[in-house]
Amino acid sequence: MARIIFNRRIATTYYRMRILCPEIAVRAKPGQFVMVRVTETLDPLLRRPFAIHRICTESDGAHSPGPPSCFEILYHLAGKGTLILSRKRRGEALDIFGPLGNGFHVERTLKTALLIAGGIGVAPLFSLAQALKAKRGTPAALPQVFVFLGGKTGHDVLCRSDFKRLGTTVAVSTEDGTSGTPGLVTDLLRTFFSRRPPSAAIPLALFGCGPLPMLQALSEISREHALPCQISLESTMACGVGACLGCTIPTRSLPSKDFSYQRVCREGPVFPSTAIAWNRLPSPVPNG
Amino acid sequence: MKELHKKISLAVEVAGISMKNPVMAASGTFGYGEEYGEHLSLHHLGALITKGISLNPQPGNPPPRLVETTGGMLNAIGLQNIGVRALIEEKIPNLRKYGIPLIVNIFGTTLKEYEEVAKTLEGVGGIAGLEINISCPNIKKGGLAFGTDPSDVFKVVSAVRKSSSRPIMVKLSPNVTDITSIARSAEEAGADILSLINTLIGMAVNPETRTPRLANITGGLSGPAIKPIALRMVWEVYNAVSIPVVGVGGICSAGDALEFIIAGASAVQVGTGHFVNPHLTAEIVAGLEKYLRANQLTSLTALVGTLETAARKSS
Repeated sequence: MARIIFNRRIATTYYRMRILCPEIAVRAKPGQFVMVRVTETLDPLLRRPFAIHRICTESDGAHSPGPPSCFEILYHLAGKGTLILSRKRRGEALDIFGPLGNGFHVERTLKTALLIAGGIGVAPLFSLAQALKAKRGTPAALPQVFVFLGGKTGHDVLCRSDFKRLGTTVAVSTEDGTSGTPGLVTDLLRTFFSRRPPSAAIPLALFGCGPLPMLQALSEISREHALPCQISLESTMACGVGACLGCTIPTRSLPSKDFSYQRVCREGPVFPSTAIAWNRLPSPVPNG
Repeated sequence: MKELHKKISLAVEVAGISMKNPVMAASGTFGYGEEYGEHLSLHHLGALITKGISLNPQPGNPPPRLVETTGGMLNAIGLQNIGVRALIEEKIPNLRKYGIPLIVNIFGTTLKEYEEVAKTLEGVGGIAGLEINISCPNIKKGGLAFGTDPSDVFKVVSAVRKSSSRPIMVKLSPNVTDITSIARSAEEAGADILSLINTLIGMAVNPETRTPRLANITGGLSGPAIKPIALRMVWEVYNAVSIPVVGVGGICSAGDALEFIIAGASAVQVGTGHFVNPHLTAEIVAGLEKYLRANQLTSLTALVGTLETAARKSS
């Protein structure tokens, strides 16, 4: 059983929960997720999937020595399930299944990582930034990490100061211009590339999470520059382990066929952006 | 006190399939075993029923494929599967390792396909029985198309019966006017066991977009919301046939499983409940044992169909 260390509202409708659960914390990898049961009753029925947001100890300390005992989830009030979750208090027990799915893959030779988040899509990217900055070696050997945070309004731009504390470079954009550069986060990325064209001499990779149109634009940009890009997808899930086939997305993995369905929970939630059959994707309906 | 320490047994034998307890994993909710097997022990399962398999691989329906409803969920997976040959080569060898009876759920879009799938599975070791799916509501051809007319049910069950030497369980659809007539047809055609119910056809709409929440428009409703219907149908069928009945539909606790057993089920299948609680089957097994102990029963079979419906003595 896992226990809640804190459950804080960090912006209008966004919450951050730290959970004490060493069994999950020591195994969790950035990009993986957990299935949380928000109630002991059968309403709402299904568990909710949440990305591993941060891997830490009880008193935080992303750089604390010793194995991690806690992890965090970041969530947006989207329906009945997350509303129940938001009312939970410190010390309460929580039924959590995980870690599940495949995380981000980071090449050892990576020199520059660009993390692109849309709104709540920042959730899995923070633990990735943690891992990138915690790699062993001299500071000069660590990859440079640039974080692009986008949101509809300034309220939807999350974790800015946390990313800065990790030593990453942060750029912000909002659709309504209330924070950072007005416009889309993918425009911010295009501007970045126009000033700093990627060079083959410096291995660079893109990592994104956010709404599907954003991810599709990101995929397009990575294709234009021939850069590897991994995206983390969200889907309504029932089992979380690959048994029910409810969370599938159309992919182009099989050469013999136009497309096939793969499970977000098992083959994903992180996919190479080139694997997705974008033209066949529906609009997402996440469980709230 | 002595009775409490008596050896109690949850073991059941259903039409030649011996199980250490009556709790099975329902088809379509447990993949090919390995998905849950990587995260938890499966040794406590009475039997495992694999995802519906057809002659050739099926891509399944486009997403969204599932939506949560009050007390349940709708799914329209569309019987995505790897095909019977890949099942035999890639999945069965791994499934055998769990040492639990394996039941393969089969379906076809034609009578011939049902036959061919059954024949392909003949001689494959480690399979305890077949479950014929004549009740999937999410594919246009096959599945439910064979499950709503007693004469079609007779044809498909007869065809599989001729093609297989194994015990045959027929999974019935609740989307019919009279489930007992379907059940009797399956029995006459040579079914050894009847499992019921499959999902109920349902639907959900997004009022904001005025679109269905499932790409398939309709889907199969499962979960605790359907339990009372499943229980009623199990009781009706139990009273209409002489072959064993396996209860399925919204089982989420040992108490739920007991309701089905008392209503006439010789065994039960757990489906959607796994999603809520991956350890549910183990908890049900423990709960059944506790119940037998508390009621001083030594075997579970003694409990099957013990529903008391006679008018109570007036005091």
